[in-house]
Amino acid sequence: MDAARPNENDDNVTPLKVLAATLAPFDVKRENLIPILQTIQEKEGYLSPEAMKMVAKHLGVTASEVYGVASFYNQFRFHPPGKHQIKVCLGTACHVVGGEIILENFERKLGIKHGETTPDREFSVDRVACVGCCALAPVAIVDETTHGHMAPSKVEGILLGFQIEKERKEREKEQRESGSQQ
Amino acid sequence: MKAGPSNSDAIKERFETLKRDALQRFGEIKGAEVPRITIGMATCGIAAGAVETKAAFEKAIAQHNIDARVEATGCIGHCYAEPLVVIENPGFPPICYNNVTPGKARALVSSFLVDGDPLFEYVLGALEENDMIPSVRDFPRFSMEERIVTALSGRIDPEKIENYIAEGGYEALAKALALTPQEIVQEVQISGLRGRGGAGFATGRKWEFGLKAQGESKTVICNADEGDPGAYMDRTILESNPHQLLEGMAICAYAVGAEKGIVYVRAEYPLAVKMIRIAIEQAEAKGVLGSGILGTDFSFSVSVFQGSGAFVCGEETALIQSIEGKRGMPQHRPPFPALQGLWGLPTIINNVKTLSTIPAIIKKGGEWHKQMGSPKSPGSAIFSVVGKVVHPGLVEIPTGTTLRTLVFDICGGTPHRKAFKAVQIGGPSGGCLPEAFLDTPVDFDSLIEAGAMMGSGGMVVMDENSCMVDVARYFLDFTQKESCGKCTFCRIGTRQLLNILERITKGEGREGDIELLTTLCEEIKEGSLCGLGKTAPNPVLTSLKYFRDEYEAHIKEKRCPAGMCRALTAFYIDLDRCARGCDACVGSCPVEAIFTTRDRKKAIDQTKCVKCGECVAACPPQYTAVKRVSPPHLAPRIERPQEPQE
Amino acid sequence: MVKLTIDGKEVQADEGKSLLEVCTDNGIFIPSLCFLKEMTNPPASCRLCFVEVEGLPKPVPSCRQSPAEGMVVRTDTELVRRLQRSALQLLLSAHHVDCRNCHANKRCALQNIAKFLGVGLKPKRLEPLAMEFPQEREHPNFIYDPYKCVLCGRCIFVCRKRTGYGVLTFARRGIDTVVSWFGADGPDSPPCDRCGECVNACPVGALKSKETVQAPMEAAGA
Ligand SMILES: Cc1cc2nc3c(=O)[nH]c(=O)nc-3n(C[C@H](O)[C@H](O)[C@H](O)COP(=O)(O)O)c2cc1C
Ligand code: SF4
Ligand code: SF4
Ligand code: FES
Repeated sequence: MDAARPNENDDNVTPLKVLAATLAPFDVKRENLIPILQTIQEKEGYLSPEAMKMVAKHLGVTASEVYGVASFYNQFRFHPPGKHQIKVCLGTACHVVGGEIILENFERKLGIKHGETTPDREFSVDRVACVGCCALAPVAIVDETTHGHMAPSKVEGILLGFQIEKERKEREKEQRESGSQQ
Repeated sequence: MKAGPSNSDAIKERFETLKRDALQRFGEIKGAEVPRITIGMATCGIAAGAVETKAAFEKAIAQHNIDARVEATGCIGHCYAEPLVVIENPGFPPICYNNVTPGKARALVSSFLVDGDPLFEYVLGALEENDMIPSVRDFPRFSMEERIVTALSGRIDPEKIENYIAEGGYEALAKALALTPQEIVQEVQISGLRGRGGAGFATGRKWEFGLKAQGESKTVICNADEGDPGAYMDRTILESNPHQLLEGMAICAYAVGAEKGIVYVRAEYPLAVKMIRIAIEQAEAKGVLGSGILGTDFSFSVSVFQGSGAFVCGEETALIQSIEGKRGMPQHRPPFPALQGLWGLPTIINNVKTLSTIPAIIKKGGEWHKQMGSPKSPGSAIFSVVGKVVHPGLVEIPTGTTLRTLVFDICGGTPHRKAFKAVQIGGPSGGCLPEAFLDTPVDFDSLIEAGAMMGSGGMVVMDENSCMVDVARYFLDFTQKESCGKCTFCRIGTRQLLNILERITKGEGREGDIELLTTLCEEIKEGSLCGLGKTAPNPVLTSLKYFRDEYEAHIKEKRCPAGMCRALTAFYIDLDRCARGCDACVGSCPVEAIFTTRDRKKAIDQTKCVKCGECVAACPPQYTAVKRVSPPHLAPRIERPQEPQE
Repeated sequence: MVKLTIDGKEVQADEGKSLLEVCTDNGIFIPSLCFLKEMTNPPASCRLCFVEVEGLPKPVPSCRQSPAEGMVVRTDTELVRRLQRSALQLLLSAHHVDCRNCHANKRCALQNIAKFLGVGLKPKRLEPLAMEFPQEREHPNFIYDPYKCVLCGRCIFVCRKRTGYGVLTFARRGIDTVVSWFGADGPDSPPCDRCGECVNACPVGALKSKETVQAPMEAAGA
């Protein structure tokens, strides 16, 4: 129905049992709705339709109520994020030194727009408001690492780093596999 | 025992025991005759590499097999100098080092700790006056500040309550508990403190409403949503001195009769959440929070609520909706939260800075606070000064200090000898003030008079290369995205404003756009339901007022005077300056727009160029051949030579 | 009961009612979209019902103002009309104006208010916004058109009032806000009463019940 709307045909839904265990410690109180959604997203990376329906059942509210609240807040995602999450800061200080150009470079290099995930689910790109490192502007956060004083030319380097890492791992895996066969 | 004047001695006694204990614990740490290395480990420090620096210190100390402590502290607000390290080596004054990379860390251990050479070339300054090393007090960045709220930030370990108590923490709470609630409210009223969350409402009056309000229970909420995309002082305070805030909240709770407290922290602040949680736990263990505080019958428990990413939730009624588990949509006021807030019960909402100022006011008296800064908004103001300044970071100054002092004397002015153009104050609710307003004192009323707003305290300095139309567009883009969508003016009006501004920055502005912007802005201000919509037009209105010529250049000449708007600028390579055979710029271009001309110089393919400016930076300083022009047709067209056919 | 003056006319009013109701009861038309009498806490979101009250510095939404003894109210000042026209123009700029093909033609509140305020349905001042919503949405019992919705929230209110839980809710935020019934088809979801109250509550043509549209939909090959 819409881009932000949950993907009904998602194949990697977490077993409902796991979800139920996540929900159990929360009292049946409406004010727990947002903390519950935060906990689920932290564990799963996003909110699947099933998860939202279970939350609704747990709290005794309608599923639309849950989706209505979740879709109000920027933090909640309705699609699985990429393995590597790239967040480009577009706070004021980063904007005046060209944060948008950094974002565009990530988008161009990955072939996706912000808010999207690459088809291979390796990367997702998001824009965020001030991460509080204005003195290092422009800033991008890749997974847990904050990269200050970003430049378009550094974008390629960061992505290349992941590529090399991935290839190395694959090679090792192959070696291990061929090793174990022998 | 009952809290209040009747038991003042017993409360004092109770606190003194606590303090003695803390001093002893603290003394054990401090008194030991071993070098102490303290590293600023707030978010900004970590981003600048403090974790690596800390690891390098630890490793080097282990390698040299010396006895030294490495400790973490919060942020002292000198963001330009991060990672910032203070070394207290017995026999030397405490010395502050800036931009300490792991390499510098290793050098400091081997030269300073082992050989006793403090490596003057790395020193920022000594923290105490002495005759060996110049003191940081010699820099205006240190000496012109006057710190109340951030006095201990970056000087104590935020994870150790003893540290705070040893420095005089929770003394104000003990003092407050020996007063009546009315006396506290009165003291706050005398202090003249005005809410630091933006609107500047008198805190004492708000508390009086809270005290008088009837309800089966009351709540104190600390607003740490800090949504302004260019401000981060609330985060720094939470990360660097969370106990001061808890103390302020507890005093507020006692004054208004609340039993529950909630700290509403913005989603993007994980470290702040961690620090405040640790602080709550420790404060409860020490009996300065929780049930029966300091042996009295006063109980106050605090929990943390994490926001989920919505700027509008900084607005108090939306914040309450969000805690109640609803969509964070602002509500019509009245009723005001002080009378009917969370769950319909009386709720006092104050900003982090407001509550963090309270302990000092109780300790030193309302009169003391009233004397500081300008008479109508007394006290201190904390700004995060960022953008085109030499020394960005957090600054706490008495209100009434002029913008000029703040930007030029304290923060060092604009770098690279570029001309100052404007300072944006108050984020999306504020406005841009030009040079002519530099002598405006910073306080609530003077800034509003000038068309800006104290707002959150975000301050972004802009130089000649910043386009004011683009800045207005930027803020509108922000407010438009963050509008909750409830009311007509804000939901649709900000989108209309944004569309017009986008058109203008793309060179599609039309006759009449300025007038349309002005009338729409006025109507949105007048008609919106909450503060977001009411203040969203400010960035447009102020820039229209003070930089109208820039709008006109965009609309009439399709020219961006600052050369910022990408649709209105072009880059080209001056063939007279370009060095034959040099290809420094080629690799820098992310889209391969730079090609070689027939005479082996470089030129830019305008159809490919994304105008990122990388080639400007890449071109060696002796050539500086890449030029930026606006309007774009001023760039000479150079055809790409045909590829030789093979 | 209190006595107050509205547009120079002295009227009696019940303090429990909103000023908007008092005006309407006395035959004074106040443009409004989001207000329903049954609301205890009106959202005051459409920003059309402004009036000026003597002693208050700025126009106030009359749906949230209680009448008081001796109050002097003006409903047709220049400022009030300017705000109302502006709000309406904004709403229209985000509204798919296609009256001729709309089932709500002639009973639509927007048409009515536009006529009252003397505003054209295609305001020249503002450009129509290019909105992006997914195509028309279908609920088993009704069809929702986000391009026509003015986000007054009436449908959500009546649904919640009747069922107690609410099949309908607002979803998303800002200019992207829509009415949603996510999960309404799920086995665990409390059912829709099929009462049609939401469709009746809609002041514009954003909701229509399915029966009335079955034929044209099929004709279009949907
Ligand atoms: C759109 C909007 C955003 C706001 N954001 C914040 C915020 O991030 N932090 C804050 O303390 N107050 C914020 N406020 C102000 C609060 O509504 C409220 O006035 C304030 O928290 C009261 O605290 P004070 O009296 O200590 O200033 C915001 C207001 C609006 C309208
Ligand atoms: S002014 Fe904006 S944020 Fe405030 S209620 Fe209206 S739409 Fe929501
Ligand atoms: S569908 Fe109709 S009643 Fe519901 S919010 Fe939209 S305009 Fe209002
Ligand atoms: S009826 Fe009052 S604002 Fe809509």
